[in-house]
Amino acid sequence: MLPVASLLILVPLIFAAVTFFTKTKKQAAGLGLLGSLATLGLTLYAYLNFDSNTAAMQFFESMEWIPSLGVNYSVGIDGISMPLILLNSIVIPLLILFSWKEDREAPNRFYGLILTMQAAVIGVFVALDFLVFYIFWELTLIPLFFMVNIWGGEKRVHASYKFFIYTHVASLIMLLGIFGLFYASWQQTGAPSFDIRELVAQFQFFESGLLRDAIFLSIIFGFLAKLPVFPFHSWLPDAYTEAPTAGSVLFILLKIGGYGLFRISLPMLPNTGSPDLMITMLGLLGAFSIVYGALVALRQKDLKRMIAYSSLSHMGFVVLGSAGFIALSVSGAMFQQFSHGLIMSILFMSAGAIQTTAGTRIINNLGGLAKKMPKLTVVMMVGFMASLGLPGLSGFIAEFLVFTFSYVNLPGFVLFALLAIVITAGYHLWAMQRAMFGVYNEKLGDVSDINSLQVFSMGAIALLVLYFGLNPSPVLNMMITNSEAIVSLAAALGV
Amino acid sequence: MVKTALEEFAFLIPLLPALAFVITFFFGKKMPSGGAIVPIMAIAASFVISLAITLGLLANPEEVVSQSYSWFAVLNIGILIDPLAAVMLSMVSFVSLLIHIYAVSYMSHDPGKPRYFAETALFTAAMLSLVLSDNILQLFVSWELVGLCSFLLIGFWYEKPSAAAAAKKAFLTTRIGDVMFLTGIIILTSDLMRLAGGFQDGTYLLRFDEIFSYIPQLSALQANIFGFEVSHLTIITLLFFGGAVGKSGQFPLHVWLPDAMEGPTTVSALIHAATMVTAGVYLVARTFPMFIAAPDSLMVVAYLGGFTALFAGTMGIVMNDLKRVLAFSTISQLGYMMLGLGLGATIGLEAVGISIFHLINHAFFKALLFLCAGSIIHAVGTQDMRELGGLGKVMPITAATMAIAALALAGFGIPGTSMGTSGFFSKDAIIEAAYLFGEHSNNWIPYLFSIAAALLTSVYIFRLIFMTFTGKPRSNYHGHESPAIMTIPLSILAVFALVFGGLTQTGFMAFLEETFANSFVNVDIGSLAGIGGNELVEAAGHEPLLVLWMPLIVAVAGLAVAFVIYYLRMIKLGAIASMKNPIYRLLYKRYYQHEIYTEFFSLGIVYGVVALLTQVLDVIVDSIVEGIGILTVGVSEELRRVQTGVVQTYAAAVIVGVSLLIILVKLIMEVL
Repeated sequence: MLPVASLLILVPLIFAAVTFFTKTKKQAAGLGLLGSLATLGLTLYAYLNFDSNTAAMQFFESMEWIPSLGVNYSVGIDGISMPLILLNSIVIPLLILFSWKEDREAPNRFYGLILTMQAAVIGVFVALDFLVFYIFWELTLIPLFFMVNIWGGEKRVHASYKFFIYTHVASLIMLLGIFGLFYASWQQTGAPSFDIRELVAQFQFFESGLLRDAIFLSIIFGFLAKLPVFPFHSWLPDAYTEAPTAGSVLFILLKIGGYGLFRISLPMLPNTGSPDLMITMLGLLGAFSIVYGALVALRQKDLKRMIAYSSLSHMGFVVLGSAGFIALSVSGAMFQQFSHGLIMSILFMSAGAIQTTAGTRIINNLGGLAKKMPKLTVVMMVGFMASLGLPGLSGFIAEFLVFTFSYVNLPGFVLFALLAIVITAGYHLWAMQRAMFGVYNEKLGDVSDINSLQVFSMGAIALLVLYFGLNPSPVLNMMITNSEAIVSLAAALGV
Repeated sequence: MVKTALEEFAFLIPLLPALAFVITFFFGKKMPSGGAIVPIMAIAASFVISLAITLGLLANPEEVVSQSYSWFAVLNIGILIDPLAAVMLSMVSFVSLLIHIYAVSYMSHDPGKPRYFAETALFTAAMLSLVLSDNILQLFVSWELVGLCSFLLIGFWYEKPSAAAAAKKAFLTTRIGDVMFLTGIIILTSDLMRLAGGFQDGTYLLRFDEIFSYIPQLSALQANIFGFEVSHLTIITLLFFGGAVGKSGQFPLHVWLPDAMEGPTTVSALIHAATMVTAGVYLVARTFPMFIAAPDSLMVVAYLGGFTALFAGTMGIVMNDLKRVLAFSTISQLGYMMLGLGLGATIGLEAVGISIFHLINHAFFKALLFLCAGSIIHAVGTQDMRELGGLGKVMPITAATMAIAALALAGFGIPGTSMGTSGFFSKDAIIEAAYLFGEHSNNWIPYLFSIAAALLTSVYIFRLIFMTFTGKPRSNYHGHESPAIMTIPLSILAVFALVFGGLTQTGFMAFLEETFANSFVNVDIGSLAGIGGNELVEAAGHEPLLVLWMPLIVAVAGLAVAFVIYYLRMIKLGAIASMKNPIYRLLYKRYYQHEIYTEFFSLGIVYGVVALLTQVLDVIVDSIVEGIGILTVGVSEELRRVQTGVVQTYAAAVIVGVSLLIILVKLIMEVL
């Protein structure tokens, strides 16, 4: 069997390196597409050979790296990471096709950074050693920083530094927690180790409840700021909005915050000094973010900024479902990560296409675009409907699972978050009505519909949103298997 | 269960129209009439299968069609065709078929035809799937999909700002109901999980038989809300009813339905008269075993239904737009259906019988009324009744069929015989049941609501008939009768509006009462009513003669009023129908609900206060972050200068930072 996990990092990384040295746009985009398609092929190979019925690590590889500190290069794939790798591998080639006809400066760097980003994100998903995990975690900052900084909008410099410093500080606090975990475990067992699963398992044996709380909180802070949820979200609207379309989509594919919750924080949660308090805190942050993001989105004038806040609202589901802490609520949170990546890609591509042709994203300056852009209107409608949670599309499955099964443990928070449903429908429809329907705003001049490659890439994602809305099981089953493992681990410990 | 060949095709009932949607959506432009033939053939096939299954079921009501497949997690998709679903399936596919045929001509000049037929085909598929769901989740999913199609079709002429606004209003208003429905499902699921002690293999959590088997336990679970002890069953059923209120245009969420008339008239006939708006009634009927064990919920259903019937009628009498009169009429008639169901606390399963009987009859005559209105709009180009008049001579078929529909709506017929229009049998049954309820509980409010509403119904529908078809034309137009492809569906529906009720009355209701006793689910309604503390009484036969004749008396009285005012024109309208008259203004302005809901609540409270405060909070949170940034490193200014060397800076920062962190952690660990 192929060492898929390592190849999934190496292939995009090598293609990225070569792409940086290309001279023309054609070479850069072509290599980018080739690299991402090769990664997609590997991912499909992994997916087809994947067993959804076991929570055990598959495609596991390990070799010694720094034996004196217990650092290993170990990677593997399980039901928590598989869907997210799939998401990245599917969307990246479509993203390259979407931007195929765009002219921009330094295409070699543009496509090289996209592939670097893909390697870094997949690296986080497959890493089973904290050092490897942290290296890839920080590596994701670099392509995103340059994406915003070089090709972004007017306030790109400010937005890029704000994002970089904010999440970097959060990452350092997370690193503090990781070191705490490392040293405490060393003291406990007498042997150093950076193995994620081993350290997470050792966590329960630390005597000091205060220490456990401190470790848990500092690690989860990194994840919550990366997701992000209220009140750690203020980098998001600027970064998402100022980024070029491809950059916004890369931000959306940056699912490492939620992944960290499932991989590291949730297994630790029941063993913290005060699990009830932690669950209440997470439930509160999740439910509040859902409503808060929706309310702020309601007042946005810029289409892209509205979508950015909508994303914040959706991320609340990931945290609320995690706090629900039964297998199906956690699966719902995982499914939300997967589904949100697809849906938001459509939304940001739509906003990008409108900006490109109409020259503005201010909702009130648009109007009646449906007449001139019928193809965009259809895919955008699918994206908007999915984003507002219409059944039959993937967003509903996630929201339904999170709401329904979080209610078992957190009824109050769920009832509060349900308020957001009407508001969410409100701002989506309001934006659609103002921007796309009604009389065409002649001031916009001659706008043109999306090109055929864009129809293909957005249409393909829209079909996936529909497919996983009708038949979620191909990814949901493995999520359930792993969620059950997380939750039963907690139950076995008597919590 | 006997497996017949026919059952094997049940899944095609929703699937064929769904496939028709795909074909018409992608290839309709290249086909004649926008690809209308595809959905017509598909829906015709669905109708044949539905009818065949219904006929089989009629012979043997216990042998229901039931098929379930796992969907995801513990949930399933499936088909349940019992008497209730069977009559609905037959009606929906039949009415949809006729309206699709009619639309070939009605929509013939519209360039958006392919989109129209694709969306109506999708609607039909979703509606059929809603009806044959064997579990509450699939019903909810279909429920939302019919809502989506309604949204798309109200906004079919999206370049018209009023249509785009009406579509949005419809979606958002019904969404308020949908949230309640979803909340009900969430609470139900959580309760079932607790009661079942986790998930059992081989059972589907939200299938109706599973839900119904837990009714006694659900009723025993108590919650304390504002100091009142309420059973979980009451909460869940009320939340379900909240969904029904939105979908079926009941007070106070009815406001979207009159505006929904912005869509093509065929859409109004199909979605906003005959099928989708009855989904709420269907939901209550489908979960009737839960409602009957929750008497407080049934009381709410009865009162709200009765009130809506009357309330909508008052607005119906002042509207000048042909379609808006019919819209208020639909709201009012849906109120009757809800009232019928709400009386279940007294009359038991018969409530489902009379309510669904009225639903089916109403589908025929209301679809007919809308299609007649469409025929008029198609010929004349206006729908303002003040500009119409005298159309009876130029459009004889339309006039005759619309008059039949009006008689059916007003409920003309001779009590004690089987002579009467369809509406007569079903509406009278509801009014008589309301009387029985009053006699039994000494509470006459539902009965008074229903009688008063019957009077108003007769007034507004004959006002419409006289203003449209009699007298002289009040504007310049050249009316002409519509082509045969439109008048044939009118005639077919007219026959059903005239005789369906009389032919089927007793058999129909008896058939429906078999719904909850069969191979799929077998509940004892009497004992469930006992849980709720209800005592069922035997209906019919012993009412005083006046009670039997009362509905006809008020219908004739209403006709007389309309005749005197709008045909003979013996009363000067100017004084009454003037904006100076406060009552007229109140009715014409629809009790100022638009102002209260939209301007005060939506814009004022939600958008103006809550969202504004949240936005302010967002600025504060952001300012704190920016402030920290400026204080520590002078984020924007300082770093802008060193942006060329950012990778090196970064690397150095990481190394220094990590070293410091290691030392810090070591120190902390020593202390702890």
